Amino acid sequence: MTAPVTDDGRPIEGGAEPILELVGVRAGYGAIEVLHGVDLVVPRGSLVALLGPNGGGKTTTLRVCSGLLRVASGELRVAGRTVNGAAAHDLARVGVCSVPEGRGIFPNLTVRENLWLATGTGVARDRVESVAFDRFPRLGERRNQLAGTMSGGEQQMLAIARALATEPVVLILDELSMGLAPLVVSALYETVAELASSGISVLVAEQFAKTVLPIAQSAAIMLHGRVVRVGEPAAVEEELASAYLGG
Amino acid sequence: MPALEVSDVSVRFGGTHALQNVTITVEEGSVTGLIGPNGAGKTTLFNVVTGLLSPTGGRVSLHGRDVTAAAPARRARLGLARTFQRLELFTSLSVRDNIRVAGDIRNGWGRSHRINVAKETERIIELTGLGDIAGRDVADIPTGRARVVEVARSLMTQPTVLLLDEPAAGQTEQETEVFGVLLGRLADSGLAICLVEHDMSLVMRVSARLHVLDYGQILAVGRPEEIQNDPAVIAAYLGGAA
Amino acid sequence: MHLFLTYTIFGLVLGGVYAIAASGLVLTYNTSGIFNFAHGAEAMLGAFLYWEVRYGWGVPTPLALILVLGVFGPLMGGLLYLVIMRGLRNTAEVTKVVVTVALMLGMLYLSEWFWNPQTDRTVVPFFGITSQVKILGADVTTHELIALGTAVLIGLGLRLFFYRLRIGVAMRGAVDDPGLLELNGHNPERIAALSWAMGSFLAVLAGVLLTPISGGALQANSLTLLVIDAFAAAVFGRLRSIPRTYIGALVLGLAASYVLAYSPKTWQWASNFRVSLPMIVLFVVLIVLPQDRLRGASVARTRERAHLPSVRSAVIAGAALVVVVVLLRQLMNDSDITTITLGMTFAVIALSLTLLTGYAGEMNLAAVSFGAIATMVSYHIGVTGHGLASRSTLWGIVVGVIVTAVVGAVVSLPALRLRGLYLGLATMAFGVFLTDMVLMDSNPHRIPLIHTKFSLFSGGAGINSLVIPPLRIGPLDLHDGTTFLVTATVVFAVLGIGLVALRNSSYGRRLTAMKDSPAASATLGQSLLRLKLSVFMLSAAVAGLGGVLMSMALGSVTPDNFSIFLSLSLLMLTVVAGISYVSGALMGGLLSGVGFALIVSTFHDLASRHGSVHGLFSFLASFATVTPALIGIGVGRNPSGSVHDFVDSYRSLRHRPRVLVGGGAVEAVLYVLSLTNVLGHWWFAILTSVLVMFLPLVGQMSDPARREQEAAAVPLELAGIDSPYSDGLRAELDRALGIEDLLPPERLARSRRNGRRSDGSGDRSMTEPLGAGVGDAGT
Repeated sequence: MTAPVTDDGRPIEGGAEPILELVGVRAGYGAIEVLHGVDLVVPRGSLVALLGPNGGGKTTTLRVCSGLLRVASGELRVAGRTVNGAAAHDLARVGVCSVPEGRGIFPNLTVRENLWLATGTGVARDRVESVAFDRFPRLGERRNQLAGTMSGGEQQMLAIARALATEPVVLILDELSMGLAPLVVSALYETVAELASSGISVLVAEQFAKTVLPIAQSAAIMLHGRVVRVGEPAAVEEELASAYLGG
Repeated sequence: MPALEVSDVSVRFGGTHALQNVTITVEEGSVTGLIGPNGAGKTTLFNVVTGLLSPTGGRVSLHGRDVTAAAPARRARLGLARTFQRLELFTSLSVRDNIRVAGDIRNGWGRSHRINVAKETERIIELTGLGDIAGRDVADIPTGRARVVEVARSLMTQPTVLLLDEPAAGQTEQETEVFGVLLGRLADSGLAICLVEHDMSLVMRVSARLHVLDYGQILAVGRPEEIQNDPAVIAAYLGGAA
Repeated sequence: MHLFLTYTIFGLVLGGVYAIAASGLVLTYNTSGIFNFAHGAEAMLGAFLYWEVRYGWGVPTPLALILVLGVFGPLMGGLLYLVIMRGLRNTAEVTKVVVTVALMLGMLYLSEWFWNPQTDRTVVPFFGITSQVKILGADVTTHELIALGTAVLIGLGLRLFFYRLRIGVAMRGAVDDPGLLELNGHNPERIAALSWAMGSFLAVLAGVLLTPISGGALQANSLTLLVIDAFAAAVFGRLRSIPRTYIGALVLGLAASYVLAYSPKTWQWASNFRVSLPMIVLFVVLIVLPQDRLRGASVARTRERAHLPSVRSAVIAGAALVVVVVLLRQLMNDSDITTITLGMTFAVIALSLTLLTGYAGEMNLAAVSFGAIATMVSYHIGVTGHGLASRSTLWGIVVGVIVTAVVGAVVSLPALRLRGLYLGLATMAFGVFLTDMVLMDSNPHRIPLIHTKFSLFSGGAGINSLVIPPLRIGPLDLHDGTTFLVTATVVFAVLGIGLVALRNSSYGRRLTAMKDSPAASATLGQSLLRLKLSVFMLSAAVAGLGGVLMSMALGSVTPDNFSIFLSLSLLMLTVVAGISYVSGALMGGLLSGVGFALIVSTFHDLASRHGSVHGLFSFLASFATVTPALIGIGVGRNPSGSVHDFVDSYRSLRHRPRVLVGGGAVEAVLYVLSLTNVLGHWWFAILTSVLVMFLPLVGQMSDPARREQEAAAVPLELAGIDSPYSDGLRAELDRALGIEDLLPPERLARSRRNGRRSDGSGDRSMTEPLGAGVGDAGT
């Protein structure tokens, strides 16, 4: 592995300032380091895809970004300010919305209760519900159902509805596609694309590169705890097959 | 007769199917790859095979014997062993004792199973190349090596069927290289290995046959080169409709 | 019909109060993962404080209620969470149990300090005893109506809180996934603190309501044990569901009431049975609970650590212990010898905990109760001779120990399928059942077939105590104090060496493997049930042996000598000392058998001798009774125990023989001085402990390697002057001067790799789970 070529990650669209930035971040669990110096930039208003096989460190990177995992060394910056050590709920309140891997929902709460908890960031309850039910009428039909009993796709809709309604500055999505049928996945990503075009910056970790590359402005490949390639989606795509399926 | 036969196994969690009529076979003396995107149900399948989870339907047999209702320990006695994707090492024991205790457990099965644990431990440490860290605390070694410790530990029970859950995740390229050679040697010695792995270069190199699992169902079965060129598999991995 | 109605209403009222208490327990357990053994003690403190405010200060009832329920209750709970419970993340279950047990004992001691237990205190029902209404012909006091109404209101209120308020919904969300709650912008810490405040409020409310219903007399112990009634009710709801907890509580209340009403007069044990009913119910419910699915470790590593000694060093330490005790014997008077002997027998009981909890990760909250079984057996079959010439026989002890092991198996078998906490609860239920029911059996029964009269726990004529004479095996007669002390020490040393050998054996490794990862153990072919059962039996046997020895050291025992509080405090002190160590058992045993009692009595002596500073000394004596609990509460900060730190500090001395020899020489001089009465015995003890504690420090300060290290930490401004530039220093400088932004990336990457990892991968990063459930759907 060569050292990450950080310069490639610099703004691709006319020098927009970075909204989320990782500089030489090392992090891990206990004595075991998982990220060995990650450099990553999400420019304001763009959608960055974080690709690569399992075990590469994508989820850990996102956990660092959302504040659930503390940076061991290096810096995490939001809108230019270093926020190492900020609690996840503080980051959530300044507009970092994170949907964790494997459905970001509370399975034993109803749909409405899930949405209610989304108001923890300061949005009104009515607004959350109307945005969610307008965008996903199926959620409206199931508003009083326990979230854990819905289908996987519906659960993921609910998770994204939170992001839609709370109007975050940065949206962090981890493996939206996990265990979902392709049609559902592409519908979900359409919504994500809309969000991105409305000006929200998005960082998506995804193993299904094809679903996310068309809507991304830039893409990074992670292997063995490092970002090994950053570039335009088309350029990155060519290298993907070998990263996944081996040469 | 295949060493391990999973037929028509289904598992439901709440409203979702984690596994749906999955059938796979693992033959003696070779590596059978089991690949598929995240969330496809690979670990769930391993949990069903080892008895940590009961299937809602289907059958699991080891060497032709139905073990669907057997307890995990009973299956181990019939020759089954596994490693865990989320490491399950014995964190208060050293690397050597982690391996050794598996031999201790085997010796607890009864007289006919006895092995010389001390000698076998050193042989396995040698075989898996863990000599340099054998005396260390398992909590202090890197993930890549920890996975090899899990493999070494499971070899101590002298299994005939070995399930490996992402053994190469966290390994460096050189480590993976060496690990691939080890897998080859184990298979040559007659072990039936089922390998779940995301490092495709490793899977393609060592597997005689591959099963592709997708949305809890078997999508394709075949030799590595067939799978590598199967449009359905590529689509499954990269997303989008086939 | 009239009787039925009266007792039904009484049962409902009782059940209602249980329900209030139990729902608080369920609440805190779910939001913070800590099962609060001090829940009943909170109720007790609340009730006592209410009594003080209402009757001591004469504050009118409404105001007193506001002060106690509205201010004290929530405040106590919130503070408990923020100060103590918050620090318990990533600790083993036994550590959590011990901290709350310590809290319970601490509250109990505290109440005895403030409110002398000899004084009678009565809480009058609301609106007085005479304020009654007739319901279908049955008399019901207003107080009972209020209690019932409150229970209903609390039930409804909790329902509304959890479903109609966002904070309540968030609390339910915290049960699912606290991390996700945080991503939603909520602060899980604040939510947990609130749940503790509510839990404490509910406990205090139950305490205030309960006292007048159950007779009106305030009793610290029985209120504290209210927690078991709450456990039993909560277990109905599998510690999760509040509605089911309510049902469980009502069943319990009604059952207790009907037993009182309908048991025949000839059943002398009926009132004991009523008291034990919750324990029995708890036990039965645990038996019928479905088995937990086998899961992987939920936390990557708990913070507990242990070093493993070799058998050789254990033998040396064992021999050294015997020598030290023999030497110390020369300094002691007769009563000291008896006390130390008692401590040593406690240490033997504590060894059972080292084996069970330290090695195998299972829990027994009633170790001393198992000692009661062995004591009873050896009393009934193993005493020869009469009066002062009577002696216990080896045969009695052996059979007693075997019977204890078998009872241990019977008690643990149903609970072994379940997780550690449930086993802990089952043993606690067993322990309380034993003292409340079996050990109360002092009236002779006629045994049907053999036509002899027999009672389990009586030396005759309805006296509720047993006289256990000293043991004689051939020429070895424990009648002599010194012989007993040395024998007890040798027994401890031999068992201790045996345990270390066991831990180093294949069996010991299998126990450790099971403790660390049950899932991996099982898939390697280990039958967990068999292993757990065998270790529980072994541990019960050790506890039985220690218990018989303890009874012998005491000479005569009453049910109080086997009280559950004794077991709990022994467990607590052993964990504080280090439950994974044989030396931890020694320290824990000596502390609970001797240490604090000695200190307390010393202070009381001083207080009576020095009238002028009487107040100060009696304060210190009272404070000393609370100390063990304070230490126990502190175990959350150092869950590996103090022996562990001690071993660590002495490990660093291994390569510094001069320091060790020097320390030994100083100690020898002290001993000689004390033996020749130049030095008082107290001074000897104090100087010895100072020496032992500070020796590692001396070693550290004179350590050449450490001096070098200190020299290496150069202040930045002196870099290059006092020491040469190293890569690390350079990176440090770059960072300090902000040069890194100007550097080319490769250089930056390099300097960063070398740089100090400054942000500390401390506590927080340890909290992340590495190995969550293996049963997860994802791959």
